[in-house]
Amino acid sequence: MNKISNSKSFLLRHETKTLIGPAIVYLGLFSVFPLLYSLGISFFEFDRVAGKWNFLGLGNYKEILSDKTFWSAIVVTAVMVGVALIVEVVAGVSLAIFFGQKLKGSKFVRAILITPMILNPVVVGLMWRALLNPQWGLFNWFIGLIGIDNPPIWLADPKWTLWTLIFVDIWQWTPFIFVVVFARYQALPTDVFESARVDGASPLKIIRYITLPLVSSAVVFAAIFRGIDSFRTFDLVYGLTFGGPGRSTTTLSFYSFENGFVYYRYGFSSALSYIMVIMATIGFTVLLKWIPVRRTH
Amino acid sequence: MPILTRIFKRSISYLTLIIIALVGIFPIAYLFLLSTKRRIDIGDVPPSLKIEWAVVVENYKEVLFDRSYISSTVNTLTITSVVVIISLIIGTPAAYALSRLKIKGSERISSTILSLRFMPPVAVAIPILLSMRFLHVANNRIGLIIPYVAFSLPLVIWILIGFFDEIPTEIDEAAEIDGASKWRTLMQVLIPLVRPGIVVAGIFAAIFIWNEFLVGMYVIDSESLKTVPIADAGLISAQRPIDWNVAATVGVVTLIPLLIGSMAIQKHIVQGITAGAVK
Repeated sequence: MNKISNSKSFLLRHETKTLIGPAIVYLGLFSVFPLLYSLGISFFEFDRVAGKWNFLGLGNYKEILSDKTFWSAIVVTAVMVGVALIVEVVAGVSLAIFFGQKLKGSKFVRAILITPMILNPVVVGLMWRALLNPQWGLFNWFIGLIGIDNPPIWLADPKWTLWTLIFVDIWQWTPFIFVVVFARYQALPTDVFESARVDGASPLKIIRYITLPLVSSAVVFAAIFRGIDSFRTFDLVYGLTFGGPGRSTTTLSFYSFENGFVYYRYGFSSALSYIMVIMATIGFTVLLKWIPVRRTH
Repeated sequence: MPILTRIFKRSISYLTLIIIALVGIFPIAYLFLLSTKRRIDIGDVPPSLKIEWAVVVENYKEVLFDRSYISSTVNTLTITSVVVIISLIIGTPAAYALSRLKIKGSERISSTILSLRFMPPVAVAIPILLSMRFLHVANNRIGLIIPYVAFSLPLVIWILIGFFDEIPTEIDEAAEIDGASKWRTLMQVLIPLVRPGIVVAGIFAAIFIWNEFLVGMYVIDSESLKTVPIADAGLISAQRPIDWNVAATVGVVTLIPLLIGSMAIQKHIVQGITAGAVK
């Protein structure tokens, strides 16, 4: 009896390994290893002419700390993530409550709303560069209709470019917050709202004292999730502004890309991106606390 | 009077709904419209809504054939199918094990896998290029497939864990009582049940590939090997001036497969987007 159960548990252990082993080995080789490799590279400098790697120790990191563009990229990234996130959360939650009315046709509009976030970011950039074109873009024509003449040159005036980038990010990603919060909102038991209504609570009070507290954990989760993603955004910057004009929209991610891909400064680029890895890991650790417990049954 | 207020409130609500729909769809529709224009007509404000089919044919012919988007699209579809199939073959058993089996540290393994989804891609682009060079597959489809599977796996596993979790455990317990092994339970009992999840995970992996160009630009040099997003990044980036009608057409050609894919999974998109982490 004992023998049988022993051999059985051995088999089970073996099965587990064959089920999950390939994924772990693959991710170890092609996901975790590159991350460690990148840490290694960050201590070197790539001499493109000689094709050699020179050891610098902490040299790249020291250079980064005294690099003006790095600090401006920190500010640009922080403003972008912060402002976009606040607007996306407010707008996304409002949308979720609005769609809670279940108007006719709202299902169809929801399907439209979901579209922006799956679109190719270079094409999203192109789309908005067309809309915001100073000569013929339809956006300026439209705001001209409601009385705003002489609008700024959205994508060329360094005073405005970061705000334009944030605006497009909001257009593309508010739906994400909406989708997550709305899913939670729909899963709430309806009797709570019913009884509040019967007790004569006003719609605003219901939102303030019942809806918002009940969806708050979904809101926090969606916000952290989006925050980390927005922090590592590179592609929209590439598609919309290419980091410019000047350094006005150079985010950390873009700065790292530029050093690696354009200037072949592999070590410097890796050191920059490693600072991002550490920040993203901190963000993820916070996120982990907010992931809803999976197995409910 | 109350009836009037109600009608008024309703109209405001519907007006808001229409505005929301327009804000969402307008930029995309504008891109479609620009792709039907002659180069000299781009400057018309507002653009005319009349569509000349001869111009449409000309624009799309230029993009699909002269700029070889047909072959880029075929190339992307090939790479996408290979990546999706490999990711599902590796990812499905792993998701099953993480959802069902009592593995030591299973929570930790799951969260480590999810954490990889949040790593900044710039951090791995250079090591991936160097590794692919080392394996002699840089500037080669295999050199794209290998990292793309690595990028897709965390997403696929997390989406599928969510779907496995929804199947009552009684079902596999019944199979086990009948003496089926874990592998057999997975293959014969559970996979048919999580099929919608497999479709969703596959489409999200595909959407990722149709949007990825950072690692792609590092790994691929030859025009003929570029996927659609990598070709886009070279052709219509903020850096490079291009005729707007052609650029818009490139945009439309890029978006159409994505739009079709998203329509196919409308129902499950929430689960996919949050990588199965929200229920």
